[in-house]
Amino acid sequence: MSTPLTLAPGRRPDGTALLTVAGEIDMSNVDELAAAIETTEGPLVIDLTAVEYLDSAGLSLLFRHTDRIELVVTPLLAPVLEITGLADLTTVHGL
Amino acid sequence: MGRSGDAAHECAAAAGTDVFAADEEVGGHLALVDWSATPLGPPEQWPQSLQTAVSILLSSRFSMWMAWGPELTFFCNAAYRRDTLGAKYPWALGRPASEVWREVWDEVVPRIDTVMTTGEATWDEGLLLYLERSGYTEESYHTFSYSPLRDDSGAVVGMLCVVSEETERVIGDRRMTTLRDLGSDPSVVRTEQEVLAFTDRQLDRNRRDLPFTLTYLLEPDGSARLAGTTGLPEGHPAAPGTLPADGSGVWPAGAPANGESVLVPLDRPPFTAPPLADRAESPTHALVLPLPRQGGTPYGFLVAGLNRYRALDDAYRGFLELAAGHLAAGIASARSYEAQQRRAEELAELDRAKTTFFSNISHELRTPLALIMGPTEELLTRFPHPGSPVRQELEVIHRNGLRLGKLVNSLLDFSRIEAGRMRARFESSDLSQFTADLASVFRSAVEKAGLEFRVDCPPLPEQVYIDRGMWEKVILNLLSNALKFTFDGSIAVTARARDGHAVITLADTGIGVARDEMPRLFERFHRIENARSRSHEGSGIGLALVKELIDLHGGTITADSTEGRGTSFTIRLPFGADHLDPLALVPAGERRVPSAAEPFVQEALRWLPDDGPGDLRPVATAADASGHPTGSARVLVADDNADMREYLARLLGGTGYRVDTVEDGLAALRAVRADAPDLVISDVMMPGLDGLGFVSALRSDPRTASIPVVLLSARAGEEASIQGLQAGADDYLVKPFAAGELLARVRANVELARLRNHQARWRTALVDSLQEAFFVCDEAGAVIEINAAFTDILGYAPDGLPYEPVHPWWPDAGTDPDAHRQVADAFALLVGNPKGSYTIPVTHREGYRLWVTANFNQAQDPDTGRRVTVGTFRDVTAEHYAIQRESAQAALGMWLTRATSLPDALEGALTELRHLWRADRVIAALATPDGSPSLWSTDAGLRWEDLSAEERGDVTAWLDRPSLTPFHDPTGAGITINHPQGPMAVRIDFGTRRPFTSEDQLLLSLLAGQLSQGLARAHQIDQQRETALALQRAILGPAGLPDGFAVRYEPATPPLEVGGDWYDTVALPDGRIGIVVGDCVGRGLGAATVMGQLRSACRALLLQDSGPAQTLMALDHFADGIAGARCTTVFCGVLTPETGRLIYSSAGHPPGILALPDGTTRLLDEGRSVPLAVRPGATRPEAGCTVPARATLLLYTDGLVERRRRPLTAGIDQASEAVHAGRDAAVDDLADQVMVRLVPPDGYDDDVALLLYRRPAPLDMAFPAESAQLAPVRKALRDWLGQCELPRHTVQNVLVAAGEACANAIEHGHRDAPGDPVRLRAEARAGDLRLTVADSGRWKTPQPGAGTHRGRGVALMHALMQRVTITSGATGTTVDMHTRIA
Repeated sequence: MSTPLTLAPGRRPDGTALLTVAGEIDMSNVDELAAAIETTEGPLVIDLTAVEYLDSAGLSLLFRHTDRIELVVTPLLAPVLEITGLADLTTVHGL
Repeated sequence: MGRSGDAAHECAAAAGTDVFAADEEVGGHLALVDWSATPLGPPEQWPQSLQTAVSILLSSRFSMWMAWGPELTFFCNAAYRRDTLGAKYPWALGRPASEVWREVWDEVVPRIDTVMTTGEATWDEGLLLYLERSGYTEESYHTFSYSPLRDDSGAVVGMLCVVSEETERVIGDRRMTTLRDLGSDPSVVRTEQEVLAFTDRQLDRNRRDLPFTLTYLLEPDGSARLAGTTGLPEGHPAAPGTLPADGSGVWPAGAPANGESVLVPLDRPPFTAPPLADRAESPTHALVLPLPRQGGTPYGFLVAGLNRYRALDDAYRGFLELAAGHLAAGIASARSYEAQQRRAEELAELDRAKTTFFSNISHELRTPLALIMGPTEELLTRFPHPGSPVRQELEVIHRNGLRLGKLVNSLLDFSRIEAGRMRARFESSDLSQFTADLASVFRSAVEKAGLEFRVDCPPLPEQVYIDRGMWEKVILNLLSNALKFTFDGSIAVTARARDGHAVITLADTGIGVARDEMPRLFERFHRIENARSRSHEGSGIGLALVKELIDLHGGTITADSTEGRGTSFTIRLPFGADHLDPLALVPAGERRVPSAAEPFVQEALRWLPDDGPGDLRPVATAADASGHPTGSARVLVADDNADMREYLARLLGGTGYRVDTVEDGLAALRAVRADAPDLVISDVMMPGLDGLGFVSALRSDPRTASIPVVLLSARAGEEASIQGLQAGADDYLVKPFAAGELLARVRANVELARLRNHQARWRTALVDSLQEAFFVCDEAGAVIEINAAFTDILGYAPDGLPYEPVHPWWPDAGTDPDAHRQVADAFALLVGNPKGSYTIPVTHREGYRLWVTANFNQAQDPDTGRRVTVGTFRDVTAEHYAIQRESAQAALGMWLTRATSLPDALEGALTELRHLWRADRVIAALATPDGSPSLWSTDAGLRWEDLSAEERGDVTAWLDRPSLTPFHDPTGAGITINHPQGPMAVRIDFGTRRPFTSEDQLLLSLLAGQLSQGLARAHQIDQQRETALALQRAILGPAGLPDGFAVRYEPATPPLEVGGDWYDTVALPDGRIGIVVGDCVGRGLGAATVMGQLRSACRALLLQDSGPAQTLMALDHFADGIAGARCTTVFCGVLTPETGRLIYSSAGHPPGILALPDGTTRLLDEGRSVPLAVRPGATRPEAGCTVPARATLLLYTDGLVERRRRPLTAGIDQASEAVHAGRDAAVDDLADQVMVRLVPPDGYDDDVALLLYRRPAPLDMAFPAESAQLAPVRKALRDWLGQCELPRHTVQNVLVAAGEACANAIEHGHRDAPGDPVRLRAEARAGDLRLTVADSGRWKTPQPGAGTHRGRGVALMHALMQRVTITSGATGTTVDMHTRIA
């Protein structure tokens, strides 16, 4: 049984693809998130403001897609994004 | 019980009753007893203690009996059977002791009562008991000790009696006392009457052995006269005043008169009416004993009534004979004394007459002498044939007549000179010629002696005036002297003129005169003692007379001598007559033959040997010739005068004595030592060794000391005889003596010596019959005499005498310095004190240890006058060891009683054994079911493996030996005891070779038995305590504490682990926790009981969901009904762990301490009221507080903080500091720290209970290594972190770091060991948080930059936490992470 995770694909008003994630991301459900990201093409905004936990498994997934994603976060996730350097490779909103 | 010992043994074997195995025979009979008919029941059911006691009893070689159980059932061992029980064996075994010892039960029962009621041992020495063991009622004496025997519970249920029978000693002592007293009469001079009265007094003092005595003395007509009575009233028909000679009297007089003893039964008149004594004591027999007289019919007889309770054995009979012998000796000495006294009076009378006679006629001696000499010379001419016997006799008369005349003349000359009546007649003479003529008279004698004789006397220029008679005496005396003392070389006489004087010199090459003798050379009667000479005859007046005579001539004489070289005398006479009184001058007479020369020459010739030399010359006696029995006395005659020797030999031989003769003292000494004669007659003055020296030599040698010596001397006067008697002579005769008197004295001395020897034999018999070792020490402490018992007890025989200190029986200073010092101290006491007593260890000749009690007294030796010490040794070895046993058992018993556990008891016992035997080491090995035995030792830390293979083998073999049977080798001893867990071998290592006596063996088996019982008891105590401890722990506190709590408990009274204080935590159904800390009044078990009830009640009340105040109010009522519960103080609270909310109420309890994470302290001092049951029914307050996260709550009882002379607040502050100091320690470690920091210097003196709680409790969870577990674990951790009240971002950091660690663990754990759990633990302290994640797998070495998310995970952990340690090992990987809490 994996950690519950809610994935809601959508579009931003400017037409950019949007993936709204809620819950906790860990090694048990990172594959769900990976699938959701990989089903979209082109730039993708991932909204993580409802994500309460993100571990290295989720971070590694995000690192693979830094060339086309932007992140929306709350300060809760800021430490991990900054420590790992992800924030330097991609655009992060909400820091 | 007619069965044989073999049959009995078989039965014992068949019954398999191991308890009797120690002694086959007695054990066999014991096994035959129908024990089930006794209160003790069958042996298989006997308690261990009884079995032990019986084993010890049977294995002991000491006489013992024991009684056990309600009827005091009787047991005994082989020694007791032999010594005491006698015919009652084996009937007595298994019977009640009261039945066995019915006849003495009245005596025994108070002692048994003492032992059974007080448990204290009794000690009786020499108790008189009348026993019926030998077929008659027997007087017997016993020294014994009753000791208590205890059952397995320690109660006294029986007694052990160790007996040494002392009948022989007590009765022996009593008899010795009588014999000693008989010989102890201080008055030496006694009449027969006094002797008899004294003897009666002494005999009457021992009525036990001598109920009555009658002394009858035989009259010349054969009748007997009663001379002494004891124990019977005067006029008793059994004691008639006379007994007729015809034997018709009450007592048989005939047999004793013939020297035989008769046993007379006293079962008829006149012995029965009136009775001879109390009916119970009345003798049934009397023994009639002769009073022996040396070499004659007895003096009479002694009738001795016999003790009816003693058999007339050899010892009794011997005692009576010695008593009779002493009585006879007393009579003999009284009669002999009376006879001697009469003789002494007669002799004194004779002496007086003789003195008168000599004083009157001395000047007339010359007349009878002349009348002897004249006819003798006449007769000699008639018997010219030299060989004829008559001529020989006549020559003797002639020679001695001449000599006597010469001596008389000298004496008369002297007395004349003395009186000034010497009238010299000086005539002019040719001194040179006259002197040469005189000298020529001696030529033949000098040449016969083998000496060169030179006479060089040329004519002198002037005439010299001399008295010719006097000059003769001068020259003859000097020549005679020279010949006497010159054995080789020459004698020279010269005459010269010098300085107007004629100088005459007489020089010899003789023995010379010692320098210190020179000044006295011319002194009258001075004789040079012990000088080597041809004869020791002489008056000592020769040179003195010479000097006097030359003085009369107005001349001088000087002597010049070198010892060993010779002597020369020089006489100087003035020429002419001017110096002389003209009235004394007479005209020159004609030259004539010297008149006085012959006696000198004759005497000198007798000094020279005329036949072959010989030391001892047996003389044919009349006795030999007439065939007298050879039993006649043998006399040795020592005299340097051949005539005297021959005369005495003829005289004594003619009377029937056997006579040997010798020529001087040394020869006499040799002869006596070779074959002791009955008497010695010795001249006082002899060459070599004189008579006095000879007597001294005889007396100083014990072999010859008692030989009587009669001294002969020409020296009269009291002083001379005293000197002789002082030297030890028995008698002293002055020459000349009458033949009859000599014979009378010889006979008296031979008889006296025989009597004296009898006395000496009597004394020796008396001393030898002493049962105690007897010894005599001289002033230097050397033992110079011992008796037979001394040899028996110590093993040293008289042939080794004297035993010089250090005596050979002293313990060796090297191997036993303590004992040696003890003896040395005692010896100093003996030498320095007039009397005393002490007990010392000594070593028997065969090497074993004895203990003796010495008694000594100083005395004067009547013979020598020297101070000697007379003493006895009594063998008290048995008593000594009995006391040693008692004290050793008491010491061991003390240990065993004090011991609080089995190991403690064993350790103490081994130490005690080591101390007792002064051993190097004591070890004990206990068999274990698996492999090597367990080992205990007095050497701390000694292990089984440390023993040598040989020792291990020995000890293993011992474990199979029968228990309680001691065994030993030269360097140690051992025994197997019954340890509660199986057989245990105990070995005592002496370290050095040392004897292990039977006493030691007995002691060891007794102690081993005691130890077996003691260990069994200690084992019971151990079990009881373990049970008690289990119970204590059950009532003390909860089996499991909720997380976050730590407790400590320290009771004030070990070994109890509970007291009046308690703590409790109660898990309530809704997750809350009830917390209770209380303190009952008092301590120990009583307080613990109250505490247990209160604790249970409190717990029950809390579980009913009542609040703290409510609970305490209910407890007020409860405590009111329990004795001792009043005034108990209690803190009661209910905690909600999630929030830290604590509701509490305090019944007089010290305030709780809340140590906050910021370092401040809060006291829980609200909600307080009085202690329990002080005001039952009163409402109690309640207070609330919150225990913040990471704060620590300390609840305690006053024992933690209360100290004398210090306010309670000081203790509370100290406790607060202790909690703060340990704020970053785990709560369990903190509990230890607080207990240690607050402990007083001497330890807690009151019960202490302590309870710590820190919020939140650590999180501790285990989960399977599956990724699906991550979310629930994260949730639990998030909740827990919430309780820690941390900032949000800290929570997130910790969550991520923990998540990464868990993810790693799952990933690797799943790969390496699927299903193994992962463990997460989180713990918060005041300023610190610690996380641990552990799995059973092995992680890959992280590879940073490789792009993998795992590597990123580790980097994250390091970034998010302050310290991360990853430890990877064979059993798994542990991640340990810390972070500070701001």
